[in-house]
Amino acid sequence: MKYSFYPGCSMEATAQANLVSIKAVASALDLQLEEIHDWNCCGATVASGVVGDFTQQVMTGRNLAIAEPKGQDVVVGCSSCYLSLAVTNKRFREDEHFRALANEALAEGGYKYNGTLRVRQFLEVVINDVGFEKIAKKVKRPLKGLKVAGYVGCQTVRAIPYEFDDPEYPVLMDRLTEALGATATPFPMKARCCGSSNAIADTKIVLDSALKIFESASQGGAQLMVTPCPMCQLNLDAYQQLVNKVHGTSYNMPILFFTQLMAIAFDLPPDAWALKYNIVPPGAALASFGVG
Amino acid sequence: MEQTTKLPESVKYDLTFAREIYSLENGSYIKQCMQCGMCAISCATRDIMDYSPRRLFNLIKLGKKDEVLKSNTFWYCTSCCTCKARCPRGIPLVDVMHDLKRYAIKNGYVDYPQAAFCKAFWAEVAGRGKVFEGGVTARFYLIRGLDEVLKAMEMKDIGINMLKRGRLPMFPPKKIKGMGNLKKIIRKAQEIQRKEEAR
Ligand code: SF4
Ligand code: SF4
Repeated sequence: MKYSFYPGCSMEATAQANLVSIKAVASALDLQLEEIHDWNCCGATVASGVVGDFTQQVMTGRNLAIAEPKGQDVVVGCSSCYLSLAVTNKRFREDEHFRALANEALAEGGYKYNGTLRVRQFLEVVINDVGFEKIAKKVKRPLKGLKVAGYVGCQTVRAIPYEFDDPEYPVLMDRLTEALGATATPFPMKARCCGSSNAIADTKIVLDSALKIFESASQGGAQLMVTPCPMCQLNLDAYQQLVNKVHGTSYNMPILFFTQLMAIAFDLPPDAWALKYNIVPPGAALASFGVG
Repeated sequence: MEQTTKLPESVKYDLTFAREIYSLENGSYIKQCMQCGMCAISCATRDIMDYSPRRLFNLIKLGKKDEVLKSNTFWYCTSCCTCKARCPRGIPLVDVMHDLKRYAIKNGYVDYPQAAFCKAFWAEVAGRGKVFEGGVTARFYLIRGLDEVLKAMEMKDIGINMLKRGRLPMFPPKKIKGMGNLKKIIRKAQEIQRKEEAR
């Protein structure tokens, strides 16, 4: 199956592990990802605070306009990009007035978007187009006994509620974890916000949010956490030491992209695991599986 | 009959401000709020907000311009979408928060560091078509000044860890090839947006 792929800015910098593992897992599952030519930033949840939703959505629409002639579903690996692209796409598809105005602006650059594409999270593509059964068959290194907290985060399931999972208590990532042979642990805060882009502007917001998430995951007995979101991964991984320092805790919780865990379970080459980018070392949790 | 009671200050409605907010892209949704409080109990950052989204909407209806624009509510909104998914009136609160951020920046209410972050982020998009995370950080400190830089020194361990792990590229990504047409598109979009909001 072929898809148009929107990587997003973070995959070129802080979330390279996401890019590496998504590509590896996609190719193992025969999903062909064709990067959208000359894509631009989607604005995340930040640009509209300066230029407004309309302008941000028009800008995001440029990517969809470039992808449209191929007629392939657009696959996104970042939760914030997914939010931006999916909501924009919905508006192009459902709001005629918006579509007309947005296309008036896009025409200035020589583009037009008719709203014919679907925008999808990589997590959802893996689950629905490949399916748990086929995923389970790919597993060469069953992660039996590994206790995993599936941190879905906020935007993936709430960008468009009920699009593919429950926005209050999502379950699909846990089922994916189990298809890899691991155990999904109870985790009431699995869809709680990590503080998102406040890490730089107001670090305390992230430290306090992260604390609650670590507490919840640890109480469920998790040895590591998986997430689909680059922002969640960065906040929980890079700021974990500071959480411990400020809150007097001693968490040592590796935070992996779910695709990293898939790459390990599929026994793809170690490069595909992309563990060298992880700040909290996943060695202890994974040592018994020959990873480290 | 003689009027004996004067209206107390708090219920004098100043509709000019309210109308201005209602005219923003998502502003008119605020009128639909029934004050049920679902957003307030759902909000990820409610405990550090001056006013919950519900109370903020009420202040807008009352025309309390200064209280609204000086509040941290929309700056502390992390766009987690919980309230938007739960609001029984279907109000897209996140989008309203974006409008309030933009309105506040336009009117010079930029004391919160989040305002500087938004501006730094946008400068990256407008200049390159892509965001360079290092660039956002640098611009943020340029806007906020030395105090914030000194505070950030305490966080140097985080930066060092990220560097060691190859997660902080020193050089920005290349400009997108279509930067020229992206700029034209943005300019036109801004023009259309202004016209729509003035309708
Ligand atoms: S949940 Fe919606 S209707 Fe209820 S108080 Fe909040 S904005 Fe108003
Ligand atoms: S989107 Fe903003 S206002 Fe709504 S619950 Fe999340 S942080 Fe609170």
